[in-house]
Amino acid sequence: MKPIFIALLLPALLIGAASQKLLAQTPSDALMMEKGQICIAALYTHDTWDHYWEGKLKRDNGNIGILTRQTVMPMFALGITNRLNIIAALPWVKTSASEGQVRGASGLQDWGLWIKGTALEQELGTGKLTLHATAGVSGPAANYLPDFAPFSLGLGCVDASLRGILQYNTSSGLYLRGQGAFHLRGNCTIERDYYYTTQGYYTDEVDMPDAITYGAVAGIWLFNNTLKIEATFDGLKTLGGFDIRRQDAGFPSNKMIFTRAGGGIQYYFPTIKGLGVLATGGYVLSGRNIGQSLALTGGITYQFGIW
Amino acid sequence: MKKILLLLMVFAAALLFFQSCEKDLPQQLDFEAYEFTGLDEDGGDWKALLIGNPNQIGIPAPESASSPAYLAELAALKTTSAQITGAQDAAIRYWSSNALIRWNEIARELAAKYNLTPAPNPDGTYSAPNPAKPDQYPLFPFAHPPYTCRMLAYWSGAQFDALIATWHYKYQFNRPAPYLADPAIETHLPENGLPSYPSEGAAIAAVSQVILTAMFPLEKDFIAEKAAEHKNSLLWAGMNVPSDIVAGDSLGRAVATIFMNRAKTDGMANAQAPKPVSDSLRAAAQANFGWHWENLETPTRPVGITPLFGQVRPWCIPSVEAVRPPAPPAPGTPEFQAAAKELEDFADNLTNDQRLIANFWGDGLGTYTPPGHWNRFAADLMVKYRENPLRSARTFAYMNMAIMDAGISCWDAKYYYHYPRPSQVIPGFKTILGIPNFPSYTSGHSTFSAAAATVLGHIYPAEKAKADAWAEEAAISRVYAGIHYRFDAEVGITQGRDVANYAVNVAKVDGGE
Repeated sequence: MKPIFIALLLPALLIGAASQKLLAQTPSDALMMEKGQICIAALYTHDTWDHYWEGKLKRDNGNIGILTRQTVMPMFALGITNRLNIIAALPWVKTSASEGQVRGASGLQDWGLWIKGTALEQELGTGKLTLHATAGVSGPAANYLPDFAPFSLGLGCVDASLRGILQYNTSSGLYLRGQGAFHLRGNCTIERDYYYTTQGYYTDEVDMPDAITYGAVAGIWLFNNTLKIEATFDGLKTLGGFDIRRQDAGFPSNKMIFTRAGGGIQYYFPTIKGLGVLATGGYVLSGRNIGQSLALTGGITYQFGIW
Repeated sequence: MKKILLLLMVFAAALLFFQSCEKDLPQQLDFEAYEFTGLDEDGGDWKALLIGNPNQIGIPAPESASSPAYLAELAALKTTSAQITGAQDAAIRYWSSNALIRWNEIARELAAKYNLTPAPNPDGTYSAPNPAKPDQYPLFPFAHPPYTCRMLAYWSGAQFDALIATWHYKYQFNRPAPYLADPAIETHLPENGLPSYPSEGAAIAAVSQVILTAMFPLEKDFIAEKAAEHKNSLLWAGMNVPSDIVAGDSLGRAVATIFMNRAKTDGMANAQAPKPVSDSLRAAAQANFGWHWENLETPTRPVGITPLFGQVRPWCIPSVEAVRPPAPPAPGTPEFQAAAKELEDFADNLTNDQRLIANFWGDGLGTYTPPGHWNRFAADLMVKYRENPLRSARTFAYMNMAIMDAGISCWDAKYYYHYPRPSQVIPGFKTILGIPNFPSYTSGHSTFSAAAATVLGHIYPAEKAKADAWAEEAAISRVYAGIHYRFDAEVGITQGRDVANYAVNVAKVDGGE
């Protein structure tokens, strides 16, 4: 059984960093830890953009220049049983801009906790079809300000998600995967008690739009299951939210949409039991109220039995 | 397998429960219609700001109480107010017993909607909003703090004069309220006993419509819809007959027109000076003081916000020179270095409380600006003290005249001294809020806030300590944010109080104390 972290890091968003949050809830692959096995991962992501979508208008901004978001994320996955895993993550994020007079932010973002289960395993033709489901919750781990575009560390809201993951593995090591999730979001709290979206609100609470995320993966295991290579496509769409107006700043409850293409590679050292390294990348193809980010991730994983 | 399905079902149920707990967020001040603490029966004798004697705003005498026309109006009103729909009831509750609160909210909301700075053109230049072509980007207006404080001053000054004239005629003609003329008329608002001709609600709606349409021309239809609903709600509530409303509407329009005529010649049209004028102000400061402010945005904005707002005609101060603060310390002096060091210390060690204060008072782009923030506080107090509309208009008028005078005085100092922002002078210094496009000294937030707090403290002595503390907090918030030196804030507070005392002195002798 291979460890589960092909991290599909979602890009740092211009505006609210929504996808960083989703990342944490995206143990979105079809791999499971066996009972008593734990996997620890440490991931670093370097994510930048110099263009973003203000509503549908793609633009740059001389007072931002290049927006850089760095994330360090420890993650854990534990096999409770062969068919039931628990996953946890706690990212630390730092944001900065190459231009302009406003300083960035840094600190803990959102804790995330997921339960992942195997719902179906079915021989089909020469391969095997599997269905997994993940239920997760995440929320702010610190007092960061979500109303601080484009530097906000995260969206500042509790996010509860339910994901289905369907994968077909061939006997030759090729696999195809599709997954999708619904994210129910609570309100976030900002530090002013009046704000204008498409109308004014007299409260420091912001009603966050719910969202869907989805993805597709084609991958292959090579060299006696020590090397995994994947091509990825994924996206996000909020169910509601409003467009950034011309020359306005972003806001946590903006409508956010993106699609992204990427790839990943993961290698397990045959000589050092349990140790793996990974690298992934993703580039946003289209978006709305979001930065056109290029995110590159590197990390190590280590798996061992604890009972 | 079953366990997993069960788990997922429990989780899904939890999600649904969580969803159902989300409540609607408030989009306006939530208050119930109230009985007024007093009617200010002598309000028609108070000294108006611009209209002189209320008799100069002529309205026809009402039909007599026994006339067929009036009796027919009463009969129709009885039917109307006895058969209101749910939507009509909602409109009555919205406009409520003091519609100035709602129109002030609408004015603030329009300020927030239009408070967006122009985006750069592809070639790196900037275009300015054009009042002759308001729908051409950048949309007119850019409701920055000078624009918004002036808008609120004209809106509330005109309300005050219109309601003085309304009170004058109410007690001159003494037409009883419909529910007193015919006790069978059902009412849906507290029966305040005010004589009903002319309708104070219609006067408020008409003033709001004229002033706000002039200030936000693209909102003409929206404002007209609101005004129509407001006036209709007075019929649905059984508070006025149509002839009350026609008279109030006509009076309100006449008074608002007088105020807009002042606005046309108050100098605001020239406040957004062209670049050569703006450059000459900068050169003068460099020659006089040895420093000047620069916009640090990319691409650079060629002109700051309203360099000549300091030349706009004030309401109560005799001149900007009379309230101009002394020069700030020169960059490099020990006093300056101490202020700069304090800013760096805040930046390095900002506490959560300080960050919260900086953001709470931020009132930057896309918001109702600091003048709007103070109007909100004032509206809250008007509800708390259950004021009648005339009394509320008085408070709004003196507060917003003081705020506008504070803005004029502050802008005079800003462009006279042309003092650089901290990030221009302190190497590598960065802020947590965007830096406004005008010079540093004195702080607009501080000057606006001190002026507003001074008037509120005069009118509501029990609230004075709280209002002054708010103003102090608004002032220091800019220092926490890194966009002002402490001396910008402290001198701004003094300046705002000095300016507001002129407005308070006018209020003291207007007959409304």
